[in-house]
Amino acid sequence: MTVDTAAQLLKATVDELSRRAPAVIAAAADQLRGIILGLHFGDGSRSELRADHSRLVVTGPNGETPHVEVYFDDRAMNLLFDLERKPVDQVWSQSLDVRGDRQQVLAVWRTFQVLSQRGSGLRAVQSLWRGYRDRNPQRWGQPAELPVDTRSRNPQHASNTGWHALDYLDHRYAQDIAKASSTVGGAVYTDARSLWDGYESKPWWQFADVVDTDLMETMQACKDRVSREFQRIVPDREPKAELYDLMREYPAREGKGLRPTLTIATCCALGGRDEDAVRAAAAVELFHNGFLVHDDIADESTHRRNEPTLHEAHGIGLAVNTGDAMNLLAVDAVLSNLPTLGLARTLGLIHEIMHMCRETVEGQAIELGWIRHLTVPKTDQDYFDMSTKKTGWYTCISPCRLGAICAGETDPGKLDLFTEAFRLIGIAFQIQDDVLNLLGDEVLYGKEPLGDLLEGKRTVMMIHLFREIAPKRRPRLLDIIRLSRTEKRFADAEEILAAMHEVGSIEYAVKVADRLAHEGVRRFEEDLAFVPENEAKALLRQIANYVTTRPL
Amino acid sequence: MPANLRPRSASCTEQPVIALGPEGPFPRVRLRRVLERRWLHYAFLSRDHALGMVANVAWLGPGLEAGDAAPRCTAILLVHKRGEGWCASQFNTITSTPLWSAFQQPHAPRMPGPLTLTSTSASPAVDLQLARSSRPCTSQCAWFAPDQHLRWQSETGVIARGRWTFQDQIFDNVEAIGYHERVRGYWGWPELGGWVFGFANDPGGARDQAPPAAFVFTLIQPRGPGDTAAGSVMVWRNGRLRRHFPRRCVTFAVRGQLQRDKVQQVPALSKLFGVPPMEPIPQQLMISARMGDDWVTYDYHCDAAARVVIPSETSLRSFSVHEVIGPVHVEGCISGEHFAFDTYGIVEFAGGADDG
Repeated sequence: MTVDTAAQLLKATVDELSRRAPAVIAAAADQLRGIILGLHFGDGSRSELRADHSRLVVTGPNGETPHVEVYFDDRAMNLLFDLERKPVDQVWSQSLDVRGDRQQVLAVWRTFQVLSQRGSGLRAVQSLWRGYRDRNPQRWGQPAELPVDTRSRNPQHASNTGWHALDYLDHRYAQDIAKASSTVGGAVYTDARSLWDGYESKPWWQFADVVDTDLMETMQACKDRVSREFQRIVPDREPKAELYDLMREYPAREGKGLRPTLTIATCCALGGRDEDAVRAAAAVELFHNGFLVHDDIADESTHRRNEPTLHEAHGIGLAVNTGDAMNLLAVDAVLSNLPTLGLARTLGLIHEIMHMCRETVEGQAIELGWIRHLTVPKTDQDYFDMSTKKTGWYTCISPCRLGAICAGETDPGKLDLFTEAFRLIGIAFQIQDDVLNLLGDEVLYGKEPLGDLLEGKRTVMMIHLFREIAPKRRPRLLDIIRLSRTEKRFADAEEILAAMHEVGSIEYAVKVADRLAHEGVRRFEEDLAFVPENEAKALLRQIANYVTTRPL
Repeated sequence: MPANLRPRSASCTEQPVIALGPEGPFPRVRLRRVLERRWLHYAFLSRDHALGMVANVAWLGPGLEAGDAAPRCTAILLVHKRGEGWCASQFNTITSTPLWSAFQQPHAPRMPGPLTLTSTSASPAVDLQLARSSRPCTSQCAWFAPDQHLRWQSETGVIARGRWTFQDQIFDNVEAIGYHERVRGYWGWPELGGWVFGFANDPGGARDQAPPAAFVFTLIQPRGPGDTAAGSVMVWRNGRLRRHFPRRCVTFAVRGQLQRDKVQQVPALSKLFGVPPMEPIPQQLMISARMGDDWVTYDYHCDAAARVVIPSETSLRSFSVHEVIGPVHVEGCISGEHFAFDTYGIVEFAGGADDG
């Protein structure tokens, strides 16, 4: 998207933050709530900003009367965001006009405080704004004068560095040294800080809190790191075509990289090293892919991640064998931690992996039982329990617990603190996935449209449908879901979808997911308060909030 | 017999007299209390910067138990090979006797003497001939807590030649230049807080002569109020200490965080215990010092680090000394003479024992 106007810049910023730092958007939306904000920029462009649940929506003027209107002149753009100066240094008289109810104006002010103060540290956002400023210097006010530094400076050094060590770092290495190539970390700018200025000492080990980071960039880095480990683990020997190539190819398909990110980020948040968590993360990925291969056979799925499922492409026999091999190799990956993490942590990992696998197969059994016995569960709680077992443990809960163990945290009490927050987030995530399967784009979602309905998957929408639909229509719907996958026609799936729309099942599921996600975020902040506020925890926070701001 | 296996001396019943340090003469007075400490510290970098070593031999005062009157000695050796990481002994490195030290065995400059440090597993190890080229600084003292203190004296420009063993690789006739220090004091780790310390030697000049310039700094950050920190920067030119910048004339700043993957925890046994997570190490350290027309800057980038976990006698959290190797640019002007050099330096970021 071209960013030529201030309105476009605002939209691009909100879009970037939605993808990279959902926690910032969720916090800003929480301040804005029901207020419609009209923005009139100095370049003549206009836009409206409103909150939709935990999302921020930027549109052009659409005829509604905004509750609060803000008129900027060019100079006031510095107020919103500046690369070098605090907003308070940028206030110019008569550069900003705000109209509206006082309480609502204050809410708008808080919204922009959240956006600018929490979002401005991200390299991607800085890059966006720097680009706009460089392309449109005439629309950017001159910075306000800073107080003159009266400290004496060495005449031979003053010209290029300033005198004090802090000035030196700030001037010679303006806007940070190059981004570190670490997996987690380096996605936000960090200011230089003084340890000793001749009068006051600040311990070298006391770092400033980092609350937000770049989810997209770090997730990709984690995914790449684990992919490399994955390729290293899979043996380079025969039989390639029938086994090892399939093992390499299948996980390389496009995925989000959520599990590796959770494992590595939790390890780093608790003081561990990226390197310590990589093998455990690769093991979870191997288990996950092994389960998917078998799951696709059980569900008779035809597509996975935009490509034919393994059994469709290579036959059921090879697919089953490849899934088995992935599970075996995953055990090997866990054991390979022995030389680096030691016996105690490796045993902790094995224990955790065993628990994860048991939960997963139990969840799978519950769901397959519903399908085999042609029943639809009565309550949402039945679905929550099944979903937690089938996907929650290996998607969210266990990756975090494994990461904590890699960092040396084996206290069951501490490990359990990760469970509830990520259980709720995991269920919300799964419900959203189910909704996306009904409404989402196939390319984005990666599975065939209405695949869940064709498979007869018992989702929250399905449960709600059978609970709410008129009794006289229930037998017809039951007849459809009792058909096997091969007997079911696309029109049958569309008929169920129409019924879901009719009784509001999808809206209901979105609300349930939203409620669970918010509860999960709340538990995250409360239960995990013991984890230091570092960049890795900031990443976990973004993942927790990703569920609340995910576009549906 | 190795220095760390010295036989115990007779028990001591005299009351300790400790104010701002032990009664003189400094090196020979006995350790009397549990937390009294004496160290000899060595750090060297090969001239091509491919190898680095840090060693510390520490004596801790006698225990409280009856008959436990002799100081306890521990010694650790770390050898770093660029691109391959660190190789470290446990705290039981076997040391040569007597340990080389210009402070304890005064000798003429450029007269070599042996220093042998060997892990009980034979690697890492160093077998060196050390020769002094420079004069030490005067003894310095940092005071913290009601009766605790740390005194140290630095000697830079120490020239080393000999054999280094890193894992199963042996490097003969390695030429290195480095730093030696003696420490004496009485402290508990939580009260001490932490420190930032380091040095750099100008690699230019003749190989058997003192480095044209050398830089040593210390910043001790005790648990007490922020203004109780002690710090100094010292600059040597051609073997002579030319300027000592006191704490009001120096500033320290840091930026970024070193990648955690570049930090290795040692000794190996520490991984078996519940060692708390490591603190992040800064990525970059900048020091400036100025006094009158004299000034100096030290611009250091951390490259690889070893976290040496030291049990704390008085708190649950262990004390960690992070030995860091990285490139540095030093520039300054002393008495109207401008100097600048690029080399590798060793920096210590230490701390972490404070429970509170």
